Amino acid sequence: MESRPDRVTARGASSPGSQFCGRTRREFLWEAGAGFTGIAMAAMLQQDGFFRKYVHAEGAGEGELNLLAPRQPHFVPKAKRCIFLFMYGGPSQMDLFDHKPYLQKNDGKTVDVEIRRRSVQKQKLLGSRREFKRRGESGLWCSDALPRIAGHMDKMAVVKSLYMDSFAHGSALLQMNCGQVIQGHPSLGSWLAYGLGTVNQNLPAYVTMLDPRGGPVSGAPNWGSGYMPAAYQGTLFRSGGDPILNLSPSSDVAPAIQRDRISTINALNASHLAGRPGYSELQARIASYELAFQLQTTAPEALNLEEESYKTRELYGVYDPKPSHKLSVGPAPFARQCLVARRLVERGVRFVQIYHGGGHQQQNWDAHHGVEENLDIHCPEIDKPISALLTDLQQRGLLEDTLVVWGGEFGRQPVSQGNNHGRDHNPKGFTYWFAGAGIKPGTSYGATDEIGHEAVENRHHIRDLHATILHLMGLDHESLTYFYGGLDRKLTGVKHSEVIQGILA
Amino acid sequence: MTFNRAAAGFYFTALLAFTGGLRADSAASPEALQFFERKVRPLLAGSCYKCHGQKKQKGKLRLDRHDAILSGGDSGPAVVPGKPQESLLVRAVKYQDPELKMPPKQKLSADQVGILVRWIELGAPWPKEETGGPDRRAPGLAVTDKDRDWWAFRKASGTPVPGVRKAGWVSNPVDNFILAKLESGGFEPADPASRRELIRRAYFDLIGLPPSYKEVESFAADDSPGAFEGLIDRLLARPQYGERWGRHWLDVVRFAQTNGYERDGEKPYAWRYRDYVIRSFNQDKPYNRFVIEQLAGDELDDANRDSVIATGFYRLGVWDDEPDDKRMAEFDGLDDMVVAIGASFMGLTMGCARCHDHMYDPIPQKDYYSFLAFLRNVRYYDKPKYDKSSSTYASIGNNEWALAVREHGASPKETKVLIRGNSGTPGDLVKPAFPAVLGGGKVELSARPPGESSTGLRRELAEWVAGEENFLTARVMVNRIWQHLFGRGIVRTPNDLGRRGLPPTHPGLLDWLARDFIRGGWKIKRLQKLIMLSSAYRMSSRVLPGEALRKDPSNELFWRQNMKRLEAEAIRDSILSVAGGLNPEMGGRGFFPKLGREVIAGGSRPGWGWGVSSRKEQSRRSVYIYTKRGTLMPLIEGFDYTNTAQSLGMRTVTTVAPQALMLLNSSFLDWQAGVFAGRVLSEKGADPAGHPADFVRRAYQLALSRDADEDEVAKSLAFIRRQEEAFASRRSRSTFRPGVPDAIERGFKSTQQPSNFFEGPPAGWEYFRGRWYDAGDNIDWVDPQRRPFALHKTLRLADGELSAELSMQSNSEGASIYFRGENKGDLYSGLELLLDPREDRIELRRHGKEKEPVVVKSAPLELTTGSWYRVRVVLAGPEVSVWVGQGSPDERNPALRAAVEKPAESGDRVGLSSREAPVGLSSLVARTADKASAVEISGKKWIDAAEGSPGESLDRSMRQALHSFCLVLLNLNEFVYID
Repeated sequence: MESRPDRVTARGASSPGSQFCGRTRREFLWEAGAGFTGIAMAAMLQQDGFFRKYVHAEGAGEGELNLLAPRQPHFVPKAKRCIFLFMYGGPSQMDLFDHKPYLQKNDGKTVDVEIRRRSVQKQKLLGSRREFKRRGESGLWCSDALPRIAGHMDKMAVVKSLYMDSFAHGSALLQMNCGQVIQGHPSLGSWLAYGLGTVNQNLPAYVTMLDPRGGPVSGAPNWGSGYMPAAYQGTLFRSGGDPILNLSPSSDVAPAIQRDRISTINALNASHLAGRPGYSELQARIASYELAFQLQTTAPEALNLEEESYKTRELYGVYDPKPSHKLSVGPAPFARQCLVARRLVERGVRFVQIYHGGGHQQQNWDAHHGVEENLDIHCPEIDKPISALLTDLQQRGLLEDTLVVWGGEFGRQPVSQGNNHGRDHNPKGFTYWFAGAGIKPGTSYGATDEIGHEAVENRHHIRDLHATILHLMGLDHESLTYFYGGLDRKLTGVKHSEVIQGILA
Repeated sequence: MTFNRAAAGFYFTALLAFTGGLRADSAASPEALQFFERKVRPLLAGSCYKCHGQKKQKGKLRLDRHDAILSGGDSGPAVVPGKPQESLLVRAVKYQDPELKMPPKQKLSADQVGILVRWIELGAPWPKEETGGPDRRAPGLAVTDKDRDWWAFRKASGTPVPGVRKAGWVSNPVDNFILAKLESGGFEPADPASRRELIRRAYFDLIGLPPSYKEVESFAADDSPGAFEGLIDRLLARPQYGERWGRHWLDVVRFAQTNGYERDGEKPYAWRYRDYVIRSFNQDKPYNRFVIEQLAGDELDDANRDSVIATGFYRLGVWDDEPDDKRMAEFDGLDDMVVAIGASFMGLTMGCARCHDHMYDPIPQKDYYSFLAFLRNVRYYDKPKYDKSSSTYASIGNNEWALAVREHGASPKETKVLIRGNSGTPGDLVKPAFPAVLGGGKVELSARPPGESSTGLRRELAEWVAGEENFLTARVMVNRIWQHLFGRGIVRTPNDLGRRGLPPTHPGLLDWLARDFIRGGWKIKRLQKLIMLSSAYRMSSRVLPGEALRKDPSNELFWRQNMKRLEAEAIRDSILSVAGGLNPEMGGRGFFPKLGREVIAGGSRPGWGWGVSSRKEQSRRSVYIYTKRGTLMPLIEGFDYTNTAQSLGMRTVTTVAPQALMLLNSSFLDWQAGVFAGRVLSEKGADPAGHPADFVRRAYQLALSRDADEDEVAKSLAFIRRQEEAFASRRSRSTFRPGVPDAIERGFKSTQQPSNFFEGPPAGWEYFRGRWYDAGDNIDWVDPQRRPFALHKTLRLADGELSAELSMQSNSEGASIYFRGENKGDLYSGLELLLDPREDRIELRRHGKEKEPVVVKSAPLELTTGSWYRVRVVLAGPEVSVWVGQGSPDERNPALRAAVEKPAESGDRVGLSSREAPVGLSSLVARTADKASAVEISGKKWIDAAEGSPGESLDRSMRQALHSFCLVLLNLNEFVYID
């Protein structure tokens, strides 16, 4: 068009409280329906009937443009939010929660075990060097490796009979996070964000935090959104410095300078918009800049631990020193992350996943080179923070509607590996525990065989673990579908899966 | 209605069979629907679905679908809307009939019954299914002629070009199809786009880059009839055309240069395939040939270097080098190929028939395996190996190798149907055959000479897929081309032309184009030109509110063009192009954009497999970014990049706040805004202070290829003025920050300069790595007490006074000033004053021969991040006194005073370090008895120019303001949306 159409006056540049297209900023944002990670554009809906049909219609009413607008769950949820403590590498169940007296008694005895798929080998049993005790009123077993967590067993449901499909970290991590051993599928948090949206538009719906020692193998696909829009992927949140990538401009740029930039961008955008009626995505993009500015305040605030009492920080272990072992980082980093996780879920973040352990082998729970050394490194790093998290959530009344999940991508073998009494991978039987919302506290559920190798009683594939988490969050795993590549995809896939009823309150 | 009591298990599990794709029924009020969703559905789900839901239908009744409730089960309709008394459901839940008590084990409460009664009174409102979706196909059904008559599978109709009333609008037959529909719906086509809009659209659509201001102006002034055609020809002839359209194809074929999974190792020479695709588009290779080369380029009579490279198509998928089940992994690999072929070339979701008959399309499981039989002899993907025995690489002469298909030999391996897709349960033997719904037909191969390295089956497959009579193949490609020119396909589901896809909005047009495409020798450029020369393509996307917008807001009928948001690559490429630094170099392995430490930290071997590229390399087009499945450049990923794991026909478009953060704050934008400002300055002379309006006008011309209007100039000038003032009142500073994560892979570490470990101003400072120790598995960790640091090159102080002003970013874990020190290799030796905001204290430490620094003394001090602190250190022999505060220090009471037993012998250098977050330094002065020397706080240059140093004469605050303005232009909606 040669002649530019009349403009709607927009004076964003000089006065931050100014009008946008004749409306206040608040009205504007509300109408544009913008959120932290998602505005499904009208154009997308217009140009893309596919998306409209299968995503837009999933609970989002007409005119609701926000991919992450809060959505009605399928039924009243027990849990409004979930903190998933991911013990990367695969913690050793028979040294922590799955007490195996037979294994202890037969230490050194040679047995046949499946070490890799269809590879059965003769190996020597390795009894746990840890002392087990029944804890609390429930009498649940916990070893002395986790003395503080042991004090919380009455809050937990411990599932000892999980199994999954891969002996290898890469595909096991993908399956634990995304339901499939094949790369390219959305992670659990993405499914939750897709199914439930978020109540705090100024923070991500789904946050991932990594260990300072590095990320897990397979990296970003573990918190990726696979075939769903990128808006549903986990946002990496750091507990020091800038919490979110590119959150702050260069330090020379004061907030007022940034504010002026955004106001000017949007004033010019408003003129552009005026000549293009019917394109609400232009409006939404204007809103996304306003939110970007707000985020610069809301995100750092969420991790400002100065707002917590000294006592609270100390309780989590924020000040605990790093022990002498060169691979240990001490409890402080994980403590900060647990405390930040509490602050995030308090502010409406739906799903927080914290990886404990990074890199390879003894840098995480992958105890090939000595299970005792591995426990010595990692147990003290999590014991105090997790114990404090459970105490803190309970004291604040948050545990009632917050689900806490603990576990790794698989468990470990009951037999000895290498010269230093290591333990190899074991997807055939391992332990997870749950605490909080909707969980029957003080429950021991399922069992492995007498040596702790394979789940034998109340066996559940990790599909059921996913189904259970979705269920507690108010979603039915059979009904939460996303259409892609000709199929209504599900987190739990096509094989039968069911909620683990035995651990529900 | 016979609710079967005996068999009815009844649980209060709140399961809900959520019938997908629901939308508010226009007849039901929102309140009624809300009542249904909040009260009724959960009740039905919790109490009834176990027996009357998706899985079980006791008494043939299901209560999870409206139609099923109304039609009822064995006993008749369950609900009569508006009439609770006549509804069997109510009778059953009230236990009124002794033979019909539901739920059988526990009667509903009176409240719950009331909810159901109320719902039926309201007319039993139920959200309407938006489209209904296709019915499922029963398993075991034979493929019939009716199946073959599906619109996508039949021969393209020779429908005559429809007649239209407004014949003057028609430029070519495309318009007849579009206009006929518009006229029958009572629509007028939108006005033509302006010439300025049109050239911009054509540039982005064909080459993915903006036109220059000059090109726009000369096109706008050229009213000769052939002007647009000439423009299209010129653009189609440019090498950037192949880069643009090749990228679209790379989405379709799941292109990436690594395998994914734990190691995410490189697929060496995968880039040759990328370059082959770009070359093929640029050569205007006939599409049927392009298909044949990718499927069987090695088996052709005229096989050549390029046709062998083309078969890299088979090797692009994800590959787990450590599969849990090797037997299964082989079939996962074959499935990847079948799915990719189905989606890319045929628009079919073949993978849905791997474990059972396709649930919607007429593709029996047997047909899946008969199709797979063409590929059964393909060797399993393996690690790179460059010799005759390689399963994944082929020689292309000159001792060069290509990622390519290799087979087990001339005689095919047999293929069996795998029951439930499980490699452990093979079933019937099948022969290679085309899907029955596409005409079927087995393939009889003549015996191959024993020396042949492959069976020839893929060639049979390729020639069938790309055959003259295979209209499906032509329809799929024609639709893809249309999609990229109109923002959406004639079929909106480009990878699925089956029954779960959406039907074409203009079937006659699609068929006509498919026929024309084949008739024209499968020439893509010819087709693009035809479409672009239509009046339909040239319509404006900008329309005033009116009848058309109201009646067809989603533009089903193409009554206007669609506005398009640029893809990630086009955004990045446009930024480079506008800023002036776009490096047009084509081909090769690709380059590595610099990634922030946060992104590097996400891997288990942080940095592994990532490299370092020069700034010039990093200025290349985005199609050449090294495509690592596990590590994507956030700017690219954030703007809805493709899913590299599987074929993608159409990218989603989202608009989210993190995208704004990337375009405002990322180092790439910061860099490019400086290059852009430098370009404007070098063109306009370095006097924006005198004539800032010239700067503004030229920057607009470069960024948006048009003149700024007076209102924009005024706004821009006011902005520059305000920014200049704001920056002027801001103290000048140098910023230092850690540049790599605390754990990094050793190979990556070796590629990093010391100045990458701790990043700060390049001039005046020297950088050091600090101590890193071996954490095993080729990973090094930083010693948190001996972090990377910087020392000033010239500032020296042994005895005297050191003063500095510094500020820690919020959430900083601490910052340190080093003094009386020196470097011993990568390590620091000397004194350190640590400001620790987490512990609220300051600490004087001594770094020496000991493994860890020795704390000399510490003192509690409340420290706030984000504020400026004045630090003063007085060194008098062994005595060290320290003041830290925001105001004037109390001379008599230092915050800390200590005697350092052994002053460092030779150390007299001064430096900095920080933990996690950036630290700003705004002044650093050393005073001895006879002189004071201050470090120049140079800060950033802000303006970055390849030649000369435009802008250096400007005040810092003016440079910052111009940089800021350039950044603003690159953020505008007009920059990323194309009319």
